[in-house]
Amino acid sequence: MGPIWRALLRNKSSYVLIALQIALTMALMVNAIAIIQERSRLMGRPSGVDEENIFQIYSSSFDPDLEYQSMVAADLDLIRNHPGVVDAVLTNSMPLRQGGWSQGLAIAPGDNSDAVGVAIYFVDEHGVGTFGIDLIAGRNFLPTDVRWFDPDGGPRWPETIILSNAMAMALFPESTAAEVIGRVAYIENNLPVTIIGIIDRMQAPWKEWSGVERSMLVPMKRGDDFARYVVRTETGYRDEVIPQIEKALADRDTGRIIDGAQTMNDVRAAAYLEDSAMIKLLVFIVSLLTAITSLGIVGLASFSVARRTKQIGTRRALGATRRSILRYFMLENFLISTVGVLGGAVLAVAINIWMVQIFALTPIAWYVVPVAMLALWIVGQLAVLGPARRASQVSPATATRSI
Amino acid sequence: MLSMQNISMVYRTETVETHALRDFSLDVEEGEFVSVTGPSGSGKTTFLNIAGLLEGFTSGRYSLDGKDTTQLDDASRSRLRNEKIGFIFQSFNLIPELDIFDNVDVPLRYRGFDSAERRRRIDSVLDMVGLASRKKHLPSQLSGGQQQRVAIARALAGEPRFLLADEPTGNLDSAMADSVMELLEDINSKGTTIIMVTHEPSLAARARRNIFVRDGQLSVEDAGLKVAIGS
Amino acid sequence: MLRYYVKLGALSIRRNSILSALMVAAIATGIGACMTIVNINYVMGGDPIPHKSKVLYHVQLDSWDPLEAAREPDFPPSQVTYRDGTALLAAAEARRQVLSYRSSRVVEPAERDQLPFMVNGRSTSADFFTMFDTPFLYGAGWGASADEGQEHVAVITKEINERLFGGRNSVGRFIVMNGDSYRISGVMNSWAPTPKFYDVNNQSFGDAEEVYFPLSVSIAKEISSDGNTNCWKPVGENSYQAFLNSECVWLQFWVELHSVEEKEAYMLFLDAYAETQKALGRFARPINNRLSNVMQWMAVEEVVDDDIQVLLGLAVLFLIVCLLNTIGLLLAKIMRRCGDISLRRALGASRSAIFSQYIVEAGLIGLTGGLFGVALTWAGLQGIRGLYGNSGFLERLVSMDWVMVLAAVGLAVVAALGAALYPTWRACKIQPASQLNSL
Repeated sequence: MGPIWRALLRNKSSYVLIALQIALTMALMVNAIAIIQERSRLMGRPSGVDEENIFQIYSSSFDPDLEYQSMVAADLDLIRNHPGVVDAVLTNSMPLRQGGWSQGLAIAPGDNSDAVGVAIYFVDEHGVGTFGIDLIAGRNFLPTDVRWFDPDGGPRWPETIILSNAMAMALFPESTAAEVIGRVAYIENNLPVTIIGIIDRMQAPWKEWSGVERSMLVPMKRGDDFARYVVRTETGYRDEVIPQIEKALADRDTGRIIDGAQTMNDVRAAAYLEDSAMIKLLVFIVSLLTAITSLGIVGLASFSVARRTKQIGTRRALGATRRSILRYFMLENFLISTVGVLGGAVLAVAINIWMVQIFALTPIAWYVVPVAMLALWIVGQLAVLGPARRASQVSPATATRSI
Repeated sequence: MLSMQNISMVYRTETVETHALRDFSLDVEEGEFVSVTGPSGSGKTTFLNIAGLLEGFTSGRYSLDGKDTTQLDDASRSRLRNEKIGFIFQSFNLIPELDIFDNVDVPLRYRGFDSAERRRRIDSVLDMVGLASRKKHLPSQLSGGQQQRVAIARALAGEPRFLLADEPTGNLDSAMADSVMELLEDINSKGTTIIMVTHEPSLAARARRNIFVRDGQLSVEDAGLKVAIGS
Repeated sequence: MLRYYVKLGALSIRRNSILSALMVAAIATGIGACMTIVNINYVMGGDPIPHKSKVLYHVQLDSWDPLEAAREPDFPPSQVTYRDGTALLAAAEARRQVLSYRSSRVVEPAERDQLPFMVNGRSTSADFFTMFDTPFLYGAGWGASADEGQEHVAVITKEINERLFGGRNSVGRFIVMNGDSYRISGVMNSWAPTPKFYDVNNQSFGDAEEVYFPLSVSIAKEISSDGNTNCWKPVGENSYQAFLNSECVWLQFWVELHSVEEKEAYMLFLDAYAETQKALGRFARPINNRLSNVMQWMAVEEVVDDDIQVLLGLAVLFLIVCLLNTIGLLLAKIMRRCGDISLRRALGASRSAIFSQYIVEAGLIGLTGGLFGVALTWAGLQGIRGLYGNSGFLERLVSMDWVMVLAAVGLAVVAALGAALYPTWRACKIQPASQLNSL
């Protein structure tokens, strides 16, 4: 290894260039992987609802004399009795929709800022069944729990609520789900609501919210000229049911627009569009960069083989085997790559620390660095294989020819 | 015309000092045709490099056409080379991707002549070496002798005061070598000073003066012309 | 001499065509990757209204919760309450002022065969059109008297005009929205401020609204906002009036101020207003009112996506790697040209002549790389559009203007020249020689 190292040092600039390229590629690769891991983790979080079989649809009325309570009742009746439909509910939002309502909930009344923010889903007794969420303690709403919201007076909130387990634990960290049932919480500072049930999980509508697991079902129907219905179908029936429901609703009442039919899968895709695009972009950039760097390695190695053809011939004439010539170039590349990946590891961590500070990314997992090092070592060895093979094919007779 | 006094050239590496030239002195008068011979490693090439201002030297004094070159910077040396010296190389050293016209054009470009002047000179030198009809050919389309004629034309195009020729016939067969030599003699007869490095005694004999270099020193000088050995 | 160097460069590029193609490819790829992201960044960070961005100010009042800031560490809320917005509007202390919010409406076409459709609407006070300099195809905005009289007037876009009236001048005709008839006062020509600076709450790069009508009419009709509504204090009771009187922020307020003096005067006015509110028991926080011009406001709202900035950093790294690659290739090329260089030196070329020759060659390679880079940038932008879906605002984000094309080519040339410096310096160091092994 000694002579190779000394030869490298004599011909610094080209090798420094390659080592630098490897280092930068490594730094970029590691940080891209860190971002990809982070995004994949976020995208992998379950929303808690039966995503495969749910869709939303809305009705927007322009009839000034609209009786919306009877309209909603008739619509829901129509949808719930449609073949292939499991259940349906009038609600204000759904997980991943990126728009919704949140409110503070506190365990004591009064003007304090200890309230915990929670996403609100207005539903009726069909909410749990429509979203396909699991009740892990307490009971579902009864029709008697459900209120219509009166925009011109009346109670602002019903008496009962159902919380997600994460929300229950945020309010009562010391208790089990069962112990929380029957406890009272306060909304809008001093309006009491009783917790009657705990659901396993239902994400808030905002994927990037730090409290995304905190949600609350409120047994209240709020409607105006705009009504959003969420429908759950039998497995496999969703896609054929959607156009049927669209048409049936539109036919039932012509003083409105039926629109916005969107499956939960599409809602998820839209919510994570940027993340999945980012992942694809990063994969593309890293692949392209690795390709460019390996082309650089091929180029440099070819050049150095060409320049040393006579020297290689002389070595062969002096008894070097093909294997040993091959080994020489492979080892040379290994040394350059080692310098590169070591520098790259330092750079990668430095860039990561900086990005964590600026963009609030999570730090890289420790194992990403050695994995990337190994990957680049292998890429380097593969890239140099061609030129090294060509070097090993140089005839010993080259030594005696003048160039 | 050319005057070297006590020129020494020492190459130093980490461990070894090599004296390529030591205490080398030589005067060449205007219009001379000097041949330089000597075994390989004797310092011929170093002498030629220094004479052609391609290389500096460790100590001594070298003046060209009355101008001391010792203190010149690289740009002035380049200009001096361009204006006063024509080079002829053993392996011709034509630029393969340029045609004959453009090859002869190279030193003229660096001289900064306008295009009409360059064209006039190129046509005239190519005519002189008998290759006026091959202007648009590439070097690879010519024989070795023709290539060397192009190289000579290139050396002459700038109307230098003297030519430095390094084994000008070394890569040619004897018939071609003879015609190249005749061309050089013809040029010399028109007044251009020529210094020619060669290892062939028969060619060296055709020069009007012959010097022999050994171990970096001028060791023998032929002919009874002006002699300046040592000091 | 330049022409001579260009000729030599072209010859050399042709001679080492593979090496040259690799260099062009490396530069083009680097430029393509970098400029794709730079272009998006440029559009996102662009000035949406260059001729007025320095005189339009977004107003923030700190009416928020005494216990915590609207946004840490000490930002006032980014929108205003109805109480404050209408008070500032009525005070009319600035040259112009606009209070507005976004709300969708259902349009019922007069033609029986056309189905009703939803439009994005903006409820706004009258100055919107003159203040933001919206282009008009026909007619104009409405006057302040229409605001006061709660007149049913509307401005529609060219597209809506096309859909409802076949593109004919519809000024004076009527549009029916949610059962009410509005007289059309103007038809706006294409207007796509990017970013949509006057309201970045929903989509910073969304389309401008399609129909505009007086704020006073919308309030009377109790039309709710489609944008963000943020409250720090319970509204209290169930009524629209209670909502209007609440501490919820949901409207955007902008003023036009032409000089530093005007700005300072307006700031004093805002502070005085806050004092009057303190006297009423509101504005419990320290006085913290802000005026931000368009570009300042875009910076405060961070309209340029974090992802894009991360990508920009990665793209710059990418370009650097491509340039290192180019440096390596140029070095290899120049090492191959040793013979040529030392011959030219022997024939009288000075170092600066050699330097010029190779820098010109690098410039040519950079130029070619830049042109291909522009093509790759375009392809990259199309790819991004494919990844992010095909919505209207992406159309604008992925469009390239001449500035960006020139920037791409310029960056490529500068990058190539930068990459060429070291190899060219090495070329200059090559000694002239009489013994040349090969050319």
